[in-house]
Amino acid sequence: MTERIYLTPTPVRIWHWLNAFGFVALILSGIQIRFPEYANIFGSYKAAIRLHNTAGIVVSASFLLWLGYYLLVSRKMRQLYLPTIDDLCNGVVRQAKFYFLSYFFGHQSPHHASPDDKFNPMQKSAYLVIMMVLVPLVILSGLLLMNVGPMRTLAVLVGGIKLVASVHFLLACSLCAFLFTHVYLATLGSSPLAYFKPMLTGWEEVNHE
Amino acid sequence: MRGIKRMLWLPTLALLVVLSAGGWEVAPAMESGDCLGCHADSGSVGERAAIDETAFAATPHADMGCLACHPSVGDSHPDDAGAFGETDCSDCHSDVAAAYAKSPHSVNAGCTDCHNPHEVRAQHEVSGYDMNRQCATCHEGQEMTERHRQWLPQTRIHLASLPCITCHTGSEKMALELYVTNEGQSTAEGDFELASYQDLLALTDGEEVASLINRDGNHIVSIDELRAFNQNPVYRGQRLHGMMVPAQMTHSYDILYNRWDCTFCHGTGPKSLQKTYLSFPNSDGTYSRVPVESGAALSVLYATPDFYMVGATRNMALNLAGAMILAGGMVMPFGHGFLRFLTRKNRK
Repeated sequence: MTERIYLTPTPVRIWHWLNAFGFVALILSGIQIRFPEYANIFGSYKAAIRLHNTAGIVVSASFLLWLGYYLLVSRKMRQLYLPTIDDLCNGVVRQAKFYFLSYFFGHQSPHHASPDDKFNPMQKSAYLVIMMVLVPLVILSGLLLMNVGPMRTLAVLVGGIKLVASVHFLLACSLCAFLFTHVYLATLGSSPLAYFKPMLTGWEEVNHE
Repeated sequence: MRGIKRMLWLPTLALLVVLSAGGWEVAPAMESGDCLGCHADSGSVGERAAIDETAFAATPHADMGCLACHPSVGDSHPDDAGAFGETDCSDCHSDVAAAYAKSPHSVNAGCTDCHNPHEVRAQHEVSGYDMNRQCATCHEGQEMTERHRQWLPQTRIHLASLPCITCHTGSEKMALELYVTNEGQSTAEGDFELASYQDLLALTDGEEVASLINRDGNHIVSIDELRAFNQNPVYRGQRLHGMMVPAQMTHSYDILYNRWDCTFCHGTGPKSLQKTYLSFPNSDGTYSRVPVESGAALSVLYATPDFYMVGATRNMALNLAGAMILAGGMVMPFGHGFLRFLTRKNRK
């Protein structure tokens, strides 16, 4: 029997795809900005910088949308993103065992997504670090780099502009590495596109055996 | 007897005439000191003809003496209505004059409009700040900022880190000069302003100002010395401000279209910035450069925390760290994906 559940509300889907396209734009323009003599993707260096700045603002705005929605509208931030003690002690191990062992033997995931419990313990832990540490830091360091003149005192306070730029680069690499893993894991559903569909329509089809 | 006296008197007179006439010819020419006796005092000669003695002494022109350029000045000066026979700069600087004559700038300004020959200095003796101050005497700062803002991202940062001549002359190679700045009132460069000789003297307790960073006095600033300065809590109020100056000055002033391409600077890689100098003010208003040791890129990262040039000051160590992080992100798609492919029959 197949059941349809409304898993991903519209504001979250808007945030997700703004974020996704924003990240791709940031990665491509970031490659050109850092390695201009090897990559000319957008025609000119200035175009790459403008796109990077614009995409950075879009991603920052979409982050605020995500934060505002989960904190103020749905009020499910803690429920969905904060791992419980059991998640950390047992759930993470159980989920890791599935991904790295039982999946290959054809077993089902121990976690079943529902609107109130969307993420498995590994997802919760990873998303918490990504959304509460890495993304805010990459946004803040990016804003500082966009406004070096007016915010110079702040740049000096945190160790100088070079340190800020280096941290921004390493954070971007970390988020890019997450993106590879994230997109791959999204193909581990009942079919390779099973998890992509709810991010477009909001609805997920769940098979009950 | 009277005849003998007359005979002696005449040769003596002749000798005196010859000696005195010869004396006019061998008398020492006017020395610079003689000139400065009057011209160092604006009260005597007026502001226009006054010479700043200290600044003049620091110029290469001082060694040549005043008469080298003002050959007509003689004992009758200034009663000869001020004839002093100015020499043309091109008499000595013919190659510079020829290059400058080809630039559009030569229509608007002659040599002395930019260079006061009594205060002229070698390029490395002038700070990037002074270079821009010179241009600003004609090119009003705010107007220039607004004109550059139409196309140049991070306009204020660029203009604070680049002397105009870095982009507006044909110099192809650049050097990085670092200046000590003091935390102070808000300025165009932010909340830090260029430290004067007196400021640095106060910090070094009267010792040579370069010893503020070049602790061992070997006239090469090591990465360790730079790091020690940046990390010393005593110097929390001081920061190093970097400016990219032409390595070799040219006089081909123009709007150069290759400078509109950001990658002229931002894509040349770290090699373009290997020549780095600490530039310290001297008591006479000139600057002295002390070269910075070329070091491992990651060391320079901490050694000059405020100089970052996107795309050019990246370093290999950080790139490798980034590559390793990205490789970590590939473990799941490739490693897990490979095992997934091998075990695909189990999930049917």
